[in-house]
Amino acid sequence: MNELFYNFAVWLDTHQLSTSIHESYYMYNWIESTHVLTLMLCLGMLFLIDLRMLGLAFTNIPATSIARRLNTPMIIGFSIMVVTGVTLFYAVPVRSAQSIWFRFKLVLLFAAAINAYLFHKNMIKSDGSWDADVRAPKNLRVGAGLSLLFWILIVIFGRLIAYDWFDCEYTSPGISQFLSGCVDGQIQF
Amino acid sequence: MSSTTAEAGSNQRTIIVVALVLLTLIFALTPLRRVVWIDLYDFFLWMETTWFGVIGKTWGAVFAVVEAFHLLAMTLLGGAVFVSDFRLLGWGFKDVPAQDVLDKAHKVFVWGLIIALSTGIFMACGVAGKVYWLPVFWYKMLALLTGILFVFFVKRPLLSKGLENIDARVIKLVAISSMLLWVTVAATGRWIGFAGS
Repeated sequence: MNELFYNFAVWLDTHQLSTSIHESYYMYNWIESTHVLTLMLCLGMLFLIDLRMLGLAFTNIPATSIARRLNTPMIIGFSIMVVTGVTLFYAVPVRSAQSIWFRFKLVLLFAAAINAYLFHKNMIKSDGSWDADVRAPKNLRVGAGLSLLFWILIVIFGRLIAYDWFDCEYTSPGISQFLSGCVDGQIQF
Repeated sequence: MSSTTAEAGSNQRTIIVVALVLLTLIFALTPLRRVVWIDLYDFFLWMETTWFGVIGKTWGAVFAVVEAFHLLAMTLLGGAVFVSDFRLLGWGFKDVPAQDVLDKAHKVFVWGLIIALSTGIFMACGVAGKVYWLPVFWYKMLALLTGILFVFFVKRPLLSKGLENIDARVIKLVAISSMLLWVTVAATGRWIGFAGS
């Protein structure tokens, strides 16, 4: 599996466009800046929804109204983050594919997606009688809390990708090499 | 009586903002800027010797996590700015009184700002000797100061008069300026990382 992922990353790395983006100081940095700045739109909205469900912000505004209204800018922000995120991976495929932080981030993104699906499902299922209450029902509060936790960790791991502490190039065989998916005899890093 | 007091307070704030803008212009356009910048060097070197500076330089992992929380604080701050400014532009929450949205968003904004400033000071201490030489760091400080002054001395006092008493074009101008300012703060902040590497 790791070898497959590594070979795929190496194949991406052979693309001229990948190299061009990576080697362009302004292009790469602007894509990364857009990825980070869009956090303000996407996660900014998501955090406000979660905080509302937990009764920590905007308590005088109906919870479903907050969730409904902030959903569109959040989705727009998320779409931009996905596009720029995929482009960043494409620009530095081998190192990203073997970054322990990137792998943790992907797992958490998956967990956050499942949590969002369940949260949405529970919200539709609830009768809405709690809408004006300061705090949402327990199952929605748990979902909001988990969402906050997952996304805080996603941002932390995303930031840590920049650091090379566990890169295959610098670590010796062990748990970190296993988790990073380093391949025996690999020549590209 | 109370409206007269509010008006006097609002005028006072306007005078403070104009005075600050004039002072900034004098500062920027005269040799004073260079003199102050040179004098600040010792202060930046001292910052690196503080506990924050020592921890930031010694434990890279601590620095990285604080960096992530700085980012999260900016996210919270940005969310609050966007919600209130979208409401001012009439892009959402039309059925909710604007003042309610603005007041609640401001509370979140203040929390975001407090965390961003605390984590920002920690980070600046860790790399003080480096950021001192980066023009983009000073641009960020300028944008941040402008943003804070704008929120507390222009936006909040102006909007406290009630939206119905303010020209719709002025409200839109305030909302757009606010978003542009805070995106500039975030963008220049991100660029410090690129410029310093």
